Amino acid sequence: MAKARALDKRRKSIRNIRKITRTMELIARARFKKAMDRATAATAYTQRITQLVADVAATGVAVSHPLLEDRPEVRHATLLVLTANRGLCGGYNGAVVRAAQHRWKELNEPSVQSRLEVSGKRGQVALKYRGLAIDTLYNHFEDKPRFDEVEVLADRYLEEFVTGRLDRLDVVYTRFLSVSRQEAVVQTLLPLKALDGGTADSGSADRAGSDSTYEFLPTAASILEEVVPASFKVKLFKCFLDAAVSEQIARMVAMKSATENASDLIRQLSLTYNRARQSQITGEIMEVIGGVEALK
Amino acid sequence: MAELRCIVVTPEATALEENASFVAVPLYDGELGIGVDHTPLIGRLGFGELRLGRGAQVARYYVDGGFVQVADNVVSILTGRAVPAGQLNPETLRAQLAAAKERPATSPELLEIRSRLVAQARAQLRVATRSS
Repeated sequence: MAKARALDKRRKSIRNIRKITRTMELIARARFKKAMDRATAATAYTQRITQLVADVAATGVAVSHPLLEDRPEVRHATLLVLTANRGLCGGYNGAVVRAAQHRWKELNEPSVQSRLEVSGKRGQVALKYRGLAIDTLYNHFEDKPRFDEVEVLADRYLEEFVTGRLDRLDVVYTRFLSVSRQEAVVQTLLPLKALDGGTADSGSADRAGSDSTYEFLPTAASILEEVVPASFKVKLFKCFLDAAVSEQIARMVAMKSATENASDLIRQLSLTYNRARQSQITGEIMEVIGGVEALK
Repeated sequence: MAELRCIVVTPEATALEENASFVAVPLYDGELGIGVDHTPLIGRLGFGELRLGRGAQVARYYVDGGFVQVADNVVSILTGRAVPAGQLNPETLRAQLAAAKERPATSPELLEIRSRLVAQARAQLRVATRSS
């Protein structure tokens, strides 16, 4: 009697868990759609800025800017790690933390003064546990990073870089490749290696040949001077957007498999429960028959 | 009559996509008016007021630097922020201006950053007070 009841109890609690994971999956799916819409809305800007760079470059102006130049000696480095505020999203945070730890070891030489900045509670907890001292914490970036929030950070990095208090900025985040593929990557944002506005796929190749009949106000060089910081800001913003989208996908996938797992468990438990109940009934019948036999 | 197509894009979204008969953009070194069939141009924007004229109606926005590109009667404006002039709050902007003025300017780079922030706050304040 006791065994069947215990099994039933377990089955009930697993049903409750399944309800929760199913709900979380649906929430993650809705948030993913929103995050994805935001990310696609942002590509309009990157595409236009890429086109603009291509149009300016077509005039043959040499692109040179302090932000594009490699510093021969890196004395101050900053590592920015983008993780989630919440867990239950599979290997999403773990992958980023591992990548961050790897790069941190490379950066951490005696000659380099490095700073570690972490966004997201999960990453902060994990990195602290691994014994890394975190200089700055951010918890206000949720699944909808706003440009003006990111711009504050970007402005500070630009200021530090220009004044020589920062020689290199690395960002560890999860890059969104497709709905089924995201990977944790380390990207060096300062100094900027190339001017492509933040997207690898650009329509610049086919537009570069177009006639450069544009009039530049005040000059092409002055426009380039402004494009470089704008391009950096957009790149940083894109990192945040990618991280937000990837987080929701990771959570969606993790919760989906949790729900499926719960369903499997319920099925198995139902089988064992039925068997236990059956054997219990058989046992009782045997007892009654035994009793009758004894009375004869 | 031919009209201009004006598209304002910020990193977050396309903020505005409208037709207008006349567009005035705040360039880095002064305002520029753009009418129909303007020659193609790429310009650097400063902090200031963007005006879209359509008949007697004028829509006013604050734009936060960036670029303007004009080609084939399409005016694309790339900016960090585009806010309708009515939504700016003069009180917070005054505080922002005061904070910008407080910043240290002990080296040429810091001075440049400070004057940039001061100019930004002043331009917003100007747009805000003109519309109210």
